[in-house]
Amino acid sequence: MADTVRSGARAAAAGRFELSRLLRVREAGVFIALVVICLFLTFATDAFLTSLNLLNIGRQVSLLGIMAVGMTFVLISGEVDLSVGSTYAFSGLVTGMLIIAGCGLLPALAVGLFAGAVIGVINGILSTYGRLPSLIATLGMLSIVRGAALILTNGQPVTVNARNGALPDVLETFSFMGQGYLFSVIPMQLVFFAIIAVLAWLVLSYSNFGFRVYAVGGSAKAARVSGISVNTVKIWAFVLMGLLAAFAGILSLAFLPSGQAGRTGLGLELDVIAATIVGGASLSGGEGTILGTILGVLIIGVMRNGLVLMGVSPFVQELMIGLVIIIAVGIDKWTTRRAT
Amino acid sequence: MKIRHIILAAALSLLPALAHAEAKLADFSLADRIKAKIAAGQPLDIYVSYHDVSNEFAPFMKAGVQRAATSDKVNAQFIGPVGADADGQISEIETLMSKMDGLAISSVSTDALAPLIDKVIAAGIPVVTFNTDNPESKRLAFAGQDLVQSGREAGKLMAKVLGGKGKVMITTIDAAAQWSLDREKGAREALKAEPGIEVVSTLNTGTDPQKIYSAIENAMLANPSISGVLSLECCSTPAAGTWVERNKAADKVKVVGFDLLDQTVQLVQSGDVQATIDQAPEKQGFAAVDLIVQFLKGQTIENLDTGVGVYTKENIAEVAKK
Repeated sequence: MADTVRSGARAAAAGRFELSRLLRVREAGVFIALVVICLFLTFATDAFLTSLNLLNIGRQVSLLGIMAVGMTFVLISGEVDLSVGSTYAFSGLVTGMLIIAGCGLLPALAVGLFAGAVIGVINGILSTYGRLPSLIATLGMLSIVRGAALILTNGQPVTVNARNGALPDVLETFSFMGQGYLFSVIPMQLVFFAIIAVLAWLVLSYSNFGFRVYAVGGSAKAARVSGISVNTVKIWAFVLMGLLAAFAGILSLAFLPSGQAGRTGLGLELDVIAATIVGGASLSGGEGTILGTILGVLIIGVMRNGLVLMGVSPFVQELMIGLVIIIAVGIDKWTTRRAT
Repeated sequence: MKIRHIILAAALSLLPALAHAEAKLADFSLADRIKAKIAAGQPLDIYVSYHDVSNEFAPFMKAGVQRAATSDKVNAQFIGPVGADADGQISEIETLMSKMDGLAISSVSTDALAPLIDKVIAAGIPVVTFNTDNPESKRLAFAGQDLVQSGREAGKLMAKVLGGKGKVMITTIDAAAQWSLDREKGAREALKAEPGIEVVSTLNTGTDPQKIYSAIENAMLANPSISGVLSLECCSTPAAGTWVERNKAADKVKVVGFDLLDQTVQLVQSGDVQATIDQAPEKQGFAAVDLIVQFLKGQTIENLDTGVGVYTKENIAEVAKK
């Protein structure tokens, strides 16, 4: 049994070697697009290429980035998760409510993350053993989890501060997670994003689990034949996504430090999926890298930042971001076709 | 097509009559079903449709609705879509139409809801608007804050805290929404009257708290000369105040906004938000039901201004949690 698994993984690895050269080309495409946008903004506005603004961008993309890392696993495994915006709101609000109820930091964080993991397990089971397409299962969960957050908070904002009952030392650490700076320069949110991205890159590129995620998304049948439990791999991808969405939601509340179940993270799932797709992940599974996702997240973040800096009308901004998504993915597809 | 033109012309000819906004039962063709209910002394079923039951104000509105239901001895239901969704609001009211003896509505969108309001009225069910008016419709009366007027108040406050001089950015979580357009109109009017003040731009932040903060952060960096931020609603007010607090910019940038969210109250206390305007949501919920009940009792009703409360560092203690 162990031998079949290993040879299956080896076969997947051999297949991936060819693929990885292709992927490197793809990342180059996204990278060039990012450089072009940055160069343009550098000349178009004085405020863009300043250390303050670049650190702002770093912070502004971090939460999107943390979630996009999770989405990369889910998309590569051939599934999609639409419930992440709701999970982000729910876990953040639960953690916040516990903290203002006088709970310690670790238990509050654990409950928030656990909630995210449970949502991931449900998404995973519905999409595998439940035989629902993940698009449908997670669309349902999007609504269920948002509803649960509204019921839990009664639609009231949750503001984490001492006056509402947060313990001083808990508040200090919690605030530092969202608002603090490492070496008084690098926003903590960016630090978390960097750590998570590196870990995810290691897992996806070098671990057995990473092999299996690619194998399952590339061809579920081939993966099953080579002894990989397709359902288990997919459920784990959803759990990872749930955990990361929960963590991003908790960091968001720590930063603001207020959230509201009707607004927090509304529509965020589309931003997350857009960033991941721009980074080269494929909705049909089997393709995508963490590096590509990071570049995709940066393109979306730099665009949002740059358009505001240039004073572009808010309505035109929406249009421009849509265009960038289409052009970025388009260039990717057109150049790849020519290359093959 | 022709019929629609005739209806439109007829509706337009009615507008001047409605403009002075006074309505009484004698002029209204009430549905027989409701007449019978009143004659039999049965409790009336009043529906209050709010444009987003998941926002911060909904619980206060709902509390006002319940208070009115108890004091007027009617059944009042607080309904509406989760998230400002015009289609959702319309279909819910259509579904409940045969059961309602009166409707109070705060529209997601004036244009989308006006035909529905007219349809409900045509069915002999009285309709009033609350919180957000729908002047395009034939609604009987409006209870709430005059939005253009509240915008004007905000503009005047902004001019006052700036000492009549400076560059102002207007922020809103939904620049295209009717309430936002109305308040922006009032605010710009008031600021235009001040020769020393220039409105630089209107920033549309979106509704997600994280996006609101980032949009403000980016805009402030792009326009370092901004000395006043005028927020048109609940939610970019604390975000602007938080930006001022974190950048220790209270001397340089003055914030005027709306509503009394927890965070906003604290930022007024700390001096990072100079003034905020409250719209008394509980009163609006109460007035919504009460207007309909008064109308069905045969009393003349007219537009009811639920008022503007201005809170600054001087009087914010009145509303701060103990």
